[in-house]
Amino acid sequence: MFEALLMAISPTYLMYMTIGVLLGLVVGTLPGLTATMGTALLVPFTFGLPTGEGIAMLGGLYVCAMFSDAIPACLVNTPGTPAAMATGFDGHPMVKQGRGQEAIVAACFSSALGTIFGAACYLLLAWPMVSVALKFGPPQFFWLGVFALTIIGSLAGKSILKGLAGAAIGIIISCIGISHAAEVNRFTLNIPELRGGVSLVAALIGVFAVPQVLSMILNLRKEEYVAEYKPEKGVILKTIIKVVSAPIHFLRSGVIGAFIGILPGAGSPIAAIVSYNEALRWSKDKSQYGKGDVRGVTASEIANNAAAPAAMIPLVTLGVPGSAPAAVIAGALMLRGLNPGPELFGTNATLVYSFGWSLLIAGIVVFFIGMLATPILVRIIKIPLRLLAPLIMFLAIIGAYAIRNNVFDVYLMLIIGLFVFLIRPLGFHPGPIGLGFILGPIIEPSLVQALYISHAVGVQRVFFSGSVSIILISLSVISVSAVAISRYRSRKKENAS
Amino acid sequence: MKFSYLIKGVVASVFGAAMLLTGGTAQADYPCKEATFIVPYSPGGGSDQMARRLVPGLEEALGVGVNIVYKTGGGGAVGFSELHRSAPDGCTFSNTVVPNVIISSKGEGVGYKPGDFAYIGMTESSAGTLMVPKDSKYKTIEDFIAAANENPGMLTVAGTGGSGLSRWTQLESVLGIETTYVPVGGGVGKMIPMLAGSHVDGAATGANHATKHKGIVDAILVAGANEVPTLPGVPNEPDWNYVITWGLMAPPGTPSDIVETLNAALRSAASDPAVQDALTKGGYVTHDMTVAEVNAFMDAEIAKYAD
Repeated sequence: MFEALLMAISPTYLMYMTIGVLLGLVVGTLPGLTATMGTALLVPFTFGLPTGEGIAMLGGLYVCAMFSDAIPACLVNTPGTPAAMATGFDGHPMVKQGRGQEAIVAACFSSALGTIFGAACYLLLAWPMVSVALKFGPPQFFWLGVFALTIIGSLAGKSILKGLAGAAIGIIISCIGISHAAEVNRFTLNIPELRGGVSLVAALIGVFAVPQVLSMILNLRKEEYVAEYKPEKGVILKTIIKVVSAPIHFLRSGVIGAFIGILPGAGSPIAAIVSYNEALRWSKDKSQYGKGDVRGVTASEIANNAAAPAAMIPLVTLGVPGSAPAAVIAGALMLRGLNPGPELFGTNATLVYSFGWSLLIAGIVVFFIGMLATPILVRIIKIPLRLLAPLIMFLAIIGAYAIRNNVFDVYLMLIIGLFVFLIRPLGFHPGPIGLGFILGPIIEPSLVQALYISHAVGVQRVFFSGSVSIILISLSVISVSAVAISRYRSRKKENAS
Repeated sequence: MKFSYLIKGVVASVFGAAMLLTGGTAQADYPCKEATFIVPYSPGGGSDQMARRLVPGLEEALGVGVNIVYKTGGGGAVGFSELHRSAPDGCTFSNTVVPNVIISSKGEGVGYKPGDFAYIGMTESSAGTLMVPKDSKYKTIEDFIAAANENPGMLTVAGTGGSGLSRWTQLESVLGIETTYVPVGGGVGKMIPMLAGSHVDGAATGANHATKHKGIVDAILVAGANEVPTLPGVPNEPDWNYVITWGLMAPPGTPSDIVETLNAALRSAASDPAVQDALTKGGYVTHDMTVAEVNAFMDAEIAKYAD
């Protein structure tokens, strides 16, 4: 492992990894250019490099995109990739309060910490962690999705019912197209383009960017900027101290991120959501969550970044990528004639470990590059709304198109965005709808598969046995009842006053 | 290697001008300035890798740059129907996977029939394989059949969606057993951890996957009459009619001389020793087909899934 570290800190490794990080900064910041797309675009350029440098570059892009997607999420309330949705819940309100710099610094520092945590898990705990990952089959993924859904309790605003309805709308839209399991057309209205389903990225851009742009336009006469830009001296140090002085918050977010990251098919977006929800559950003062609590930003960013190196763990141990960008990296290795998995671990452990070290160092590089870029990036909000609104719209359209090269996705993005804009005054929030988009593709196929399996062994044994299922069910029940109790209390208080 | 993407304005500036430098001189018999290679499955997946293996050779043979474009969704249907709508000038082609292209066309309103396309050639195939987890109670196919007979319908077997189902039920009837089929969508990648974690008793997919994941799963039965060299000692079931074949196809109505040009380019790209070696080691059988051969092959495959 020491030899691997020496490899990872060699100048060529560092150089290519840093180039990857810089590319990741761009890719993550532009909504629609996801880490998957970015790594896929970069792969051909790595062919000329030795394997180690090549995958270090791809890894650098991946982990940096998991930070930079927070930038548009905070500044203009449009997540750069699905993983940053939860970051925007508090990040954007912070920006509106003039705390933009604090939000981005917090996102950057926690992303760096999260990456380092995830990479440390990769280096030290790969094998024990993957044995836990294997305990997750269809029923466990179903319950994980259900548990993640309980975050609605904290996102829904005034009405839980509208939160649930919003998530249901999101899940139903995510079911459009040919079903994963049985190849049945669902809700396609005989439109061939809908057979491929609604792209998650395009839908999320629609949910967040379009209503944002529309309300900017409607408020043009009242407001000229997204928010005030108030550079604050010493904010970097202050924010870092804030993050460092909450070690339990860091550990909880890191552990959640790493564990959800290793589950193939779950990935960074769900890690961020669950981590956000747990941060909220365990904090004493919940009043500021969703209104600009920096802990909301750090919880989401630590977890989605820890999930990125963790997604490489099942790849190097089992040969099964834990996320879509990990799948691209797996493809890059296989094109070189290497078989990631037990075989590669056995024949070239140094390469496997040097990749882990590269990811860890990438975390540090992300921090410094992020710190250099923050003062420039934060100035986006200094752009007057009459220029910013068309700019966001332009990027939204490009992003929705880019994800599948399909102009139909642009129309879908606009329709979904308009729909969300229209139902927003009725008390529906974009959060639960976006949550439905993200969780639908986990919950629905795993439910169907678990039901198929239960034909053979019975519903009870499939859904309600095994420690993982029991734990997830109990957590969901606790989560729901806690929300119910606190809502009941606050209503009682309101009635009394 | 040229690899551009439709939002060139943004991406080209990001990923360097290198990709704009290629282009070269087009060969007289290939009329396009550049070619678009539609990959109907996710980046990093099998079809993406196939495309990337072939692109250098295709670029060399055709004398133009070949751009990979992903059109994913619907088990390949999105990319296939996109190709179906594309101009039949030979400048656009895509991966094809048999039987996926046939089975997916049976969906309502899909807008293409497998017989419509102009098939360029098939380069590789892999035999269907039944796999079990490494620590399974069933070490051999005999164990598996005995357990299935003891408790009909109690064993679970994962496969890829609808095409997997039709091939699995065929094996069930050959072996005279009854099991429960669990469809998995979105690629075989999701099936392997399900199997390795013993959430299902078995999984049926290509020998290429059984080869790649040798470390965590065991193959216990291979379809067809020939032993798979990467899976030595695994028994065959000659009556199990499950082969997955990969190749290239062009939009319906592509002129036959351009199809011939593409066929020649594909065969020269696929005959690269490095490509052949990667395929053989990966548990595939390689193919080298003329246009007439690939058409005969497709007619037979379409007839096989006619019901």
